[in-house]
Amino acid sequence: MRKPTDRQSPWLAALGCVLSILLALIMQAAPTRLVDGVNIMPTWPLVAIFLWSGVRPQFMPPIAIFAIGLTQDLLTGAPMGVWALSYLIAIAAFRFRGEDGMPRDLPPVILRFAGTLLLAHGIAFTAGSFALEQMADLQPLIIEIVATLLMFPLVAYLVLRRRRGGRTGFIGG
Amino acid sequence: MASRRSTRNDNDQRVTFSRPLFIALLVVSGALIAFDRPASRSDAFGAFRAAFTDLAAPLLELGAQPIRSVKGIGPYFRRQGDLAEENARLRQQLIEARYWEDLAYRQRDRIEIYEDALDVETPMIEDRIGAWTVADPQGPFVQARLIGRGLEAGIRDGYPVINLYGLVGRVYETGRRSARVLLLTDLNSRIPVMADRSNARAILIGDNSDYPRLEYVGRAPDLQEGDRIVSSGDGGILPRGLPVGEAIQTRSGEWRVRLYSDQAPVDFVWVWPYQRIVPPDQEPDETDLQLPPASLPVIVEPPQTDAGEAEAVAPEADATVEEQP
Repeated sequence: MRKPTDRQSPWLAALGCVLSILLALIMQAAPTRLVDGVNIMPTWPLVAIFLWSGVRPQFMPPIAIFAIGLTQDLLTGAPMGVWALSYLIAIAAFRFRGEDGMPRDLPPVILRFAGTLLLAHGIAFTAGSFALEQMADLQPLIIEIVATLLMFPLVAYLVLRRRRGGRTGFIGG
Repeated sequence: MASRRSTRNDNDQRVTFSRPLFIALLVVSGALIAFDRPASRSDAFGAFRAAFTDLAAPLLELGAQPIRSVKGIGPYFRRQGDLAEENARLRQQLIEARYWEDLAYRQRDRIEIYEDALDVETPMIEDRIGAWTVADPQGPFVQARLIGRGLEAGIRDGYPVINLYGLVGRVYETGRRSARVLLLTDLNSRIPVMADRSNARAILIGDNSDYPRLEYVGRAPDLQEGDRIVSSGDGGILPRGLPVGEAIQTRSGEWRVRLYSDQAPVDFVWVWPYQRIVPPDQEPDETDLQLPPASLPVIVEPPQTDAGEAEAVAPEADATVEEQP
């Protein structure tokens, strides 16, 4: 049974959501190549969008997803709308529906995220190629997909563990 | 199991994924992609992007600080054993560099004298503007760096950007306090270059790989492996002689360039203010410049008794020309 205090901190959760999205966007654009050997960056914003839309769907309406994608476009110098469109379609297609939202087991979450990731990058590649009027570079996209798939289980595990632990005030239950 | 509903209840809080809004945002995204193509980007879109990066630059700079502080860790541990040897080598290079420095000063003085004598006007290269990289977006669509200085520091679109080793790219989007640098490796990068040894011309074309291609080299290019490639200055886009890299030939016979700027991560860069050489047909109207035409003969009027008549023959513009050395 939920404690009365579980639902007392929507502002804390909202703050956590905003900060994590902001952090993901900054990490995506940060000059990580300065650090020797770090040349690969997972798609952190999509990880954040996916998890928040699973645990707190009310924080991830379409307009928020669009805004995050557009911000990523602007920060990374990509044509505007590419990531916004990709995230919107991918999340709409693979978001968790139903009364329980995101399941509490890791494998189905990873599987669904893999679908989201592939669809998002496929759309980004197509839309980006259209905007650039030439084929976009496929290699960095594939590297990003692999890096994201490798990093996602860790983040998802931490989120699910927190949910299972019942401390729902921050992330949600 | 997932249901097909577009809305759902999340306990007591109604969670909506509004379908009309979703469709509207899809349309907006599509429109943005169509109208924000790099090849045909309007000034309004460019200004919006620049304003956004201006706003984001301080935040990105904040995010870059911890990364910058740990950037030396990897090489530090790896190269500890080589430090003494490297130090000795650097000392030797320093001694040699002093000789070259002295020679460079003497050559500079000689060139100034020759240029004065020949009345040659070389493109003006003013003081470099230093800037830190604040963002390093990695992705399939653009290879660029965001630097933390912009219009307020005197940076303009098209200015070349170099690091300690060579040409990095060109500024292509300038905000008030930030600017985006298009790297030589980007798909849209086109730089006229030449081999320092033979003056063989080519266009350096980025293809998102670490080694940009040399195109339009001709059927029998006078290129050799290891040739120093520099900017040719053709088209007036960049100043002549900026170091770019070394020519390398692939197994398929294609010429590529190993960039000098890749010897270290692009962190601190210099932007070189450079006045692009404007072709005669694109020069502004002479009347706008308020300058006398150089080809007109200088009219030296003899003293006139009738002031009105003299004024009609010798206009004010010619009087200005007369004063020129």
